[in-house]
Amino acid sequence: MDFVILSLVMMVIGIYGLLTNRQLIKVFISVELIAIAATLNFVMLASAMGVGLGQAFLILAFSTDTAISGVILALLVVVSKKYGTSDIGKILQTIKDKDESEVEA
Amino acid sequence: MIFEILAVGLIISAVLALFLEDVIYSVAALAGTFFFVALIFVEYNAIFAAIFTVAAGVGTLAVLFLSGEMLGDKPAKKTSPKRIGTLIGTGVVLSLPAIFFSVSGSGGVDSNLIFGDALWNVRGLDVVLQGLVILTIALGIAVVLYEKKRKGGQ
Repeated sequence: MDFVILSLVMMVIGIYGLLTNRQLIKVFISVELIAIAATLNFVMLASAMGVGLGQAFLILAFSTDTAISGVILALLVVVSKKYGTSDIGKILQTIKDKDESEVEA
Repeated sequence: MIFEILAVGLIISAVLALFLEDVIYSVAALAGTFFFVALIFVEYNAIFAAIFTVAAGVGTLAVLFLSGEMLGDKPAKKTSPKRIGTLIGTGVVLSLPAIFFSVSGSGGVDSNLIFGDALWNVRGLDVVLQGLVILTIALGIAVVLYEKKRKGGQ
């Protein structure tokens, strides 16, 4: 049962990074770390049961992970092109300034 | 002993991937994370999982290198060696629970025939779930296109 603790630690690191990082690419890396924690759990269960079922389900986990990565990257490109930065704080400030200028007008 | 070394390496590379200032260095650290995960799978005789991890990791890292170089903001200052040392220390501390609270005793996966059997036996469930993923993506694309059309009409 080695992987339970290890994947738990990995997941905690990923969630902490997801909540604290301001860069969109770092947010993406955090999601990847959470996905790695999930795959570690799959293999742990397969190892504990002594069957290859976990490895079979790993294919599904990877396909889901790839779909998630594609969506996040698409959003990242769109947001970066629209606001000229990948910093969440700067993007929020830009939206706030835009709203204030619209209210004043 | 090998698992403990790999666990420490995995946690350190994950911490470095999240908290290094430069995006390119972060992606390089993430490459280390994928590498250590694959090695852990190999140690537990899950060869197919290791191969899938490496294959998926290489694709993700290639895209991340490109997008990190093109879209990532350059940091104002370089990461100091002191900060890198602190991050490595944090990684070592975080990996201690995985080393000391682990209860070893699993025999590892018998990878060859059992994996193929399992893949064949659960193919129905696998196909249904993959179909669900594709359906969700198609629904997302349809919503985006509908919104685009609606905005274009206004």
